[in-house]
Amino acid sequence: MQTFIGAENIISPLGITAEENFNSIKKNKSGIKQVEKIGFGKEDLYLSKINEENPKNFFYYLLSQCLQSIIKEAKPRIIEANDTIVIISTTKADILENLSSPMIQPVHQLIKEFKLKHTPIVISNACISGVLAMNVANDFIQSNTYKNAFVVGADIVSDFVLYGFQSLYAISDEPCKPFDKNKKGITLGEGAGGVLMSSDSTVFKAPFFEFVEGTSANDANHISGPSRTGEGLFRTVTKTLKLAGVDKENIDFISAHGTATIFNDEMESIAFDRLGMTNIPLNSLKGYFGHTLGASGLIETAICIQSLRNNVVIKSEGFDEIGTSKELNVLTQNLETEVHTILKTASGFGGCNASLIIRKL
Amino acid sequence: MTNYITSYCHILSDECWVNGKKIALQDSDDDITKQLYNYLEMDYPKFFKMDRLSKTAFLGAELIKNNNLALLNYKDDEVGLLFSNPISSAETDLNFLKSYQNGGMPSPALFVYTLPNILLGEIAIRNKWYGESVFTVSENFDAAYFLSYCNMLLNKCQEAVLCGWIKNNETFLFLVEKEDVNQLNLQLSLEQLNKIYLKKIK
Repeated sequence: MQTFIGAENIISPLGITAEENFNSIKKNKSGIKQVEKIGFGKEDLYLSKINEENPKNFFYYLLSQCLQSIIKEAKPRIIEANDTIVIISTTKADILENLSSPMIQPVHQLIKEFKLKHTPIVISNACISGVLAMNVANDFIQSNTYKNAFVVGADIVSDFVLYGFQSLYAISDEPCKPFDKNKKGITLGEGAGGVLMSSDSTVFKAPFFEFVEGTSANDANHISGPSRTGEGLFRTVTKTLKLAGVDKENIDFISAHGTATIFNDEMESIAFDRLGMTNIPLNSLKGYFGHTLGASGLIETAICIQSLRNNVVIKSEGFDEIGTSKELNVLTQNLETEVHTILKTASGFGGCNASLIIRKL
Repeated sequence: MTNYITSYCHILSDECWVNGKKIALQDSDDDITKQLYNYLEMDYPKFFKMDRLSKTAFLGAELIKNNNLALLNYKDDEVGLLFSNPISSAETDLNFLKSYQNGGMPSPALFVYTLPNILLGEIAIRNKWYGESVFTVSENFDAAYFLSYCNMLLNKCQEAVLCGWIKNNETFLFLVEKEDVNQLNLQLSLEQLNKIYLKKIK
């Protein structure tokens, strides 16, 4: 049995559909802008923010709009089916509006608004949440627990998260430059991303793709610092390739995590070097969307699906010269080429790493 | 496919049970996490940096391991971790928020614990486990999720899965393996899981 993936959606400062977002970044347009006096010390900071000030319930709005857009691209009433599950990916949800239980209320709202048969599953696994949510969806589909999975990820920029990253000295004072020699840290972003996954190809209105396999692995090294050997990333990619039955030679493109912190990008370069994959064209999309945390895996996979549709892979915004100890084939120009198979990776706090492979049928 | 619950434990506000048997803790006013740390005669300085959520999950994992030493014979990527709770990292979130309100500075030491999956990292680090790990947030103990995802992982790439529902005063952990190594005679099923969970949770 195969798992199919499609009906992708992205909501970001660059647009409210995957297509709009893809067309913007194809022109190398970024959603990152300077925001005045937003930092803890009233510093001006760069962010990829949708509104200057978010309206009330903005997190739920993003979730629900994203889900609505996916539903429009799916066979009618699939969302209400008994063999359908909704999987949500988020790190902090609406933390400042509901501190004691930020994730349960949106779940109740979704059940009511979309007449869901099953309670959505909430994956909260730091920055790999989005990739992991799709992996979990695939596992549920492959084991016949559910036939269809709507997977939606969202996170918003809040003082809470911004001040936290500032306290770690992880925020760049200019738009982030993943893998570059002059990178200075991350730029935060907000938005939503989502896909429909199913074992039934007839649920998709537009062309769909194959979700081949996905796995995760922990670094078992440090809760807030990536492994110096890239062990977890090395292991998850090795495992995903093996279970997928795909040779690394057949990976046309890598959508990396690339947060633009020194330790993360270095860790990724070491892992890809150990994997023998440094020649494969690679990018980080953080220069366009910022780091959208729990939404990032879904936004970036939705862009990968657009790349499969359009046979264009996108330049890694903010990158000029390699700044990691191992060489990587970071894209300095958009590449128009036949793209068949893509590897997506993510890494996060808690030592977590995840990867997945999607390809054309 | 038949899998087995080979150990389980409940950590409540002032008592702890392993495989349904109460652990004899010394009389103390200390927090249950401190009492269990002493009971386990641990020497692990990193423990004292953890937040309460991580401490509780970490101790549960140690208790289960003590009861299942064969767990250490699996390869380092054959043990999966599935953990869940209803409130994410709410307790530490509040403490982090307080750190920067009223004129203070945001605390980086608290911020790193404002993600619930950090506890998976703590358990992985302690045991050098590189397997699959997933943290979910759900309102109630979702036996159906644990049952189906455990079976999936054991079928896909894991030999054992350590599961945990980490909630203040009603933490419940259980280990699932392919063989009934401890001969508890508990086949993994929805009924069995709910029954064991409810044993000590009122």
